Amino acid sequence: MNPRETAWRVFATELNSSSLEIKATEEKSPSYVVTPLGAKVNRVLIAGVMTEKENIGGDDEPMWKARIQDVTGSFYVNVGRYQPEASAAMADIEIPCFVAAVGRVRTYTTDDQRVFVSVRPEHIVKVDETVRNEWILETAKSTWRRLKNAKTVLGMPDAVEADLLAMGMTQAEANGLLYALDNYGQMPDSALYLKTIQSALRMLMPERDIDLGFPEDLSDEPDEIDLEPGTNGGPANYGQMEDVILNMLEELDTDGKGAPRDELERRAEAEGISSIELEEISNILMDKGLVYEPNLRYLKRI
Amino acid sequence: MKRVLGNKIDEEQLITEVNRYLNDYHVGIDAAKRGIIRKYGGADSSSFVTASSVVKKIGELTGSEQNVDIVAKIVYVENKDITVKGLSKTIISGILGDETGTASFTIWEPGVTVLDKGSVYNFRNCYCKLWNEKVQINLGNRGRVEAAAGVTMDLPERSISMSSSECKIGSIKEGMGNVTVTGRIMSTEARNVMVRGEPKTVYSGIIADDTGKIQYSAWNDFSLKEGETLCIKNAYIRAWKGIPQLNMGDRCEVSRVDSVFEVVNADSSRKTVDEITRIGGGLDICVEGLIVDMKAGSGLIKRCPHCNRSILNGVCTAHGQVEGTPDLRLKVVIDDGTGALGAIINRADTEALTGVTMKAAEGLAMAQGEGVVAREMASKVLMKRVRVTGNVMSDNFGPSMIVKGASRVEVDVESEAAKLLDEVEASI
Repeated sequence: MNPRETAWRVFATELNSSSLEIKATEEKSPSYVVTPLGAKVNRVLIAGVMTEKENIGGDDEPMWKARIQDVTGSFYVNVGRYQPEASAAMADIEIPCFVAAVGRVRTYTTDDQRVFVSVRPEHIVKVDETVRNEWILETAKSTWRRLKNAKTVLGMPDAVEADLLAMGMTQAEANGLLYALDNYGQMPDSALYLKTIQSALRMLMPERDIDLGFPEDLSDEPDEIDLEPGTNGGPANYGQMEDVILNMLEELDTDGKGAPRDELERRAEAEGISSIELEEISNILMDKGLVYEPNLRYLKRI
Repeated sequence: MKRVLGNKIDEEQLITEVNRYLNDYHVGIDAAKRGIIRKYGGADSSSFVTASSVVKKIGELTGSEQNVDIVAKIVYVENKDITVKGLSKTIISGILGDETGTASFTIWEPGVTVLDKGSVYNFRNCYCKLWNEKVQINLGNRGRVEAAAGVTMDLPERSISMSSSECKIGSIKEGMGNVTVTGRIMSTEARNVMVRGEPKTVYSGIIADDTGKIQYSAWNDFSLKEGETLCIKNAYIRAWKGIPQLNMGDRCEVSRVDSVFEVVNADSSRKTVDEITRIGGGLDICVEGLIVDMKAGSGLIKRCPHCNRSILNGVCTAHGQVEGTPDLRLKVVIDDGTGALGAIINRADTEALTGVTMKAAEGLAMAQGEGVVAREMASKVLMKRVRVTGNVMSDNFGPSMIVKGASRVEVDVESEAAKLLDEVEASI
């Protein structure tokens, strides 16, 4: 029997930008998602605003899908029959509200090898803003630690695990970081993660004018959490794009399952809508209640 | 073969058998021997195995030997009573040494074997295993011990005595060989115990330095006094349930030190779960983290009035059907981002953390069932930040703490955030 897996504190941006996995080789041995900053994640602790929830199962066997927004992006959450406590809790949660959850990460890989990461909470509970802010602080610290470690190790081309342990990293940190640096094939985008720290600090100290020198457009998701759906309309031309996307969805939904994401992306690209814009627009449409994701691969008109 | 089988078979019969194997069935001579001895059950049926065993020095053992002969001197030996599948039996265990090294050994079927410390024996048909990366020599039912008459053996001075390493109490780990520590005696008491059938007084207590504290046991009288600061050389570490303990044995040297130094915070030493995992466990450790899970057995429970064990459905594992006394406790998992720690929290702290008193819990259980109590408590503590203090031990499931004190933790988010901002700004 293995010791319990640590619940990593990771922002949505970092978790969602992961595409590496260490698959279990033996029965009962755990699988991990390795983030670009080297967090070797089997379990996560997340907190934020639950902005959407939906029961895509039946009343007898609920299957909850939800989206939890932190200061940097959204966690995609699935709760099924194997998470009975979380499932019961989901039924009572009224959105929007602050929640914290602990659970395992799951990945889904599309045909074109893009990886989506979702979270299956073992526990999900309503929390107050204090708990959420404490999580942001802890996660920002933890992100900063990984970023610093990654930078240091990038300057040590022949470093082995023992060297990293000697620097004070934990076994899991050392192992994950080396795996990430060896296998991502590119340097982690430190600007992206510094920006998540900037967003976190802005949220925690709203009265201070924090500027680490990162413009807003580095992230493909809204910077501020917006509790009122529908007010984050974005630039004016999105309205037009929304219609274009809605039309595409209808066209691409040939079998009632919805429009495949990758196909949608190709079509959007052809219309001059970038994948970042597409993501933003589909978020807006979901907030407006016009579309939903039957599963992570598809987008469907309601 | 005749010698082996003794009078179990006469010569004529033996020749007939051998002929049958060799000439009728055309098997090889070795296989024939083996078969015949098996069939008639030699007086010493293991002796044929000796033929294929190898002779090795202790230093050459890899831990994977299936059949090996070792000539070695008994460094230490004792009888142990153990329970195997519910039956108690006596085994012999101890330490063997030769010119090349030492290893622990166990004789699982000793019969009437008596071994003398300091004598040299030939240990035949042993098998070896690795445990904690050290070789263990085992003698099962095939094994034999013979006195090696006339053989004398000089063991080298144990080399480890050279390499006693100075270390801080906070970094002492399970299985460390030979350490030198400097610390202050926080408490001491004398206990009388039986060691190898003889009464002996051990002196035990707590010793601390600026990094942590540890339980010690002194097997000789060093006339330790509370409050004095000592430099202890050549002590060794043994773990009890994952908690390392400092042992002061025969080779230990103790000297009084004048230096005054700060002893670890009187109540506890703050550690991360990762640090605990590396050490294995310890006394009065303080951990801060989030309660991320609550296990079965939390909430309102019943205890056996005789032994205080928690009981299920009114049945105590030791005392059978009993009228249980109600109690409150929490079994939770605390995660600080570096690892997960199991924690068992007593009634007073459970009441304080959850705000659910014993009385309220009983009322709730009466009205809505006992399961509701645990659920209510879970909703009060899950995802809450706590600081717990207690003794930590480790097993295969990781470290766990018997909590002596627990409290909620308030974080000064703004000043911590400002600190982080300064650090980030300074380095970009």
